[in-house]
Amino acid sequence: MAHDWQPDFEQLVDEHQSMVFSLAARMTGDRGLAEEIAQDVFLELDRHLGKIQSPEHARFWLRRVAMSRSADALRRQRVRGVNLWVEIEESHGAATEQRESPLGARLEGLLAALPAPQRAALILRYQEDMMPEEIAATLDAPVATVKSQLQRGLKLLRERAESQLREFVRTSRSAEGA
Amino acid sequence: MDEFERGLRQTLRRRPAPPSLKRKLMERRDWQQKERQHRRMVWWQRLAASVVLCGAVGGAFAWHNAEERRKGEAARQQVFTALRIANRALSRMNAQLNERARDGQ
Repeated sequence: MAHDWQPDFEQLVDEHQSMVFSLAARMTGDRGLAEEIAQDVFLELDRHLGKIQSPEHARFWLRRVAMSRSADALRRQRVRGVNLWVEIEESHGAATEQRESPLGARLEGLLAALPAPQRAALILRYQEDMMPEEIAATLDAPVATVKSQLQRGLKLLRERAESQLREFVRTSRSAEGA
Repeated sequence: MDEFERGLRQTLRRRPAPPSLKRKLMERRDWQQKERQHRRMVWWQRLAASVVLCGAVGGAFAWHNAEERRKGEAARQQVFTALRIANRALSRMNAQLNERARDGQ
C-alpha cells in the first residue's frame, strides 16, 4: 500500500542527492549554485514531507522542484547579467573532465549552450531516462511542446556536434600523432 | 535510439553529489528547526503577554466601574439619610407649631 509508506528524510537525501545535484548542476552550470539549489530543494521537501505519498511521488516531486528552482536561479542570474555557462567548463567541468572523456565534456559543453527549455527537456530525457509525457508533467508543459523541444534541441546539438566535435577529433588525432 | 543519443545518455549520467552536501543540508535543517522552535516560543510568549495585558486592562476597567457604582450608591444613601433627618426635623417643627397654636387659642 502506497499510503503505508513513511518517508524518511535522511534516506531520501541519500537516495536522491545525486539526481537533484546533477539536474541543478547541468541546468545552471555552477557547482556551488547547484549545491545550494539541492539543499533548498531538500529543505522544501522536509517541509512538505507529510504530503509525500510514495517513493515515486518523492522522486517526481524532487525532479519537479529541482528543475523549477534551477530555472528560477537562471532567470535571476540573467536579470543580474551574469552568464553562468561561461564558467561551466572552468568550474563544474574542470572537476569532471578528469573522470569523463574529453569528448563527453565537449558534448556536455554543447548541451550547456542550448536554450534553457531545450536543455531541460534533454537533461530529463537522457539523464533521467524519462518519456516525453513524464517530462511534460515534470516541467508543467504540454506534451507537444516537450516533444518539439526535444526534437529541436537534439537537432541543434547534433549540428553543433558534427561541426565542433569533428574538429576536436581531428585535433586530438593530430596531437596523438605528434 | 542512434549512436549519438547513446553517447548523449552516456555523457549525461548522474554525477555524484559533493560529499559535503548532506552534512551542510543537515546543519541547515537543524538550524531551521531550532529557528522555527524559537519563533514558536516567542509567539506563545507574546500571546501570553497579550492575554495578561488584556486581563489587566479589563480588570482595571471592571474595578473602576464597580468603584463608581459603589460611590454612587453611598451618595444616594447619604441623600436619603439627609432627607430622613430633614423630614424628622420638619415633622417635629410642625408638631411644635401645632402645639403653640392650640395653646394660643
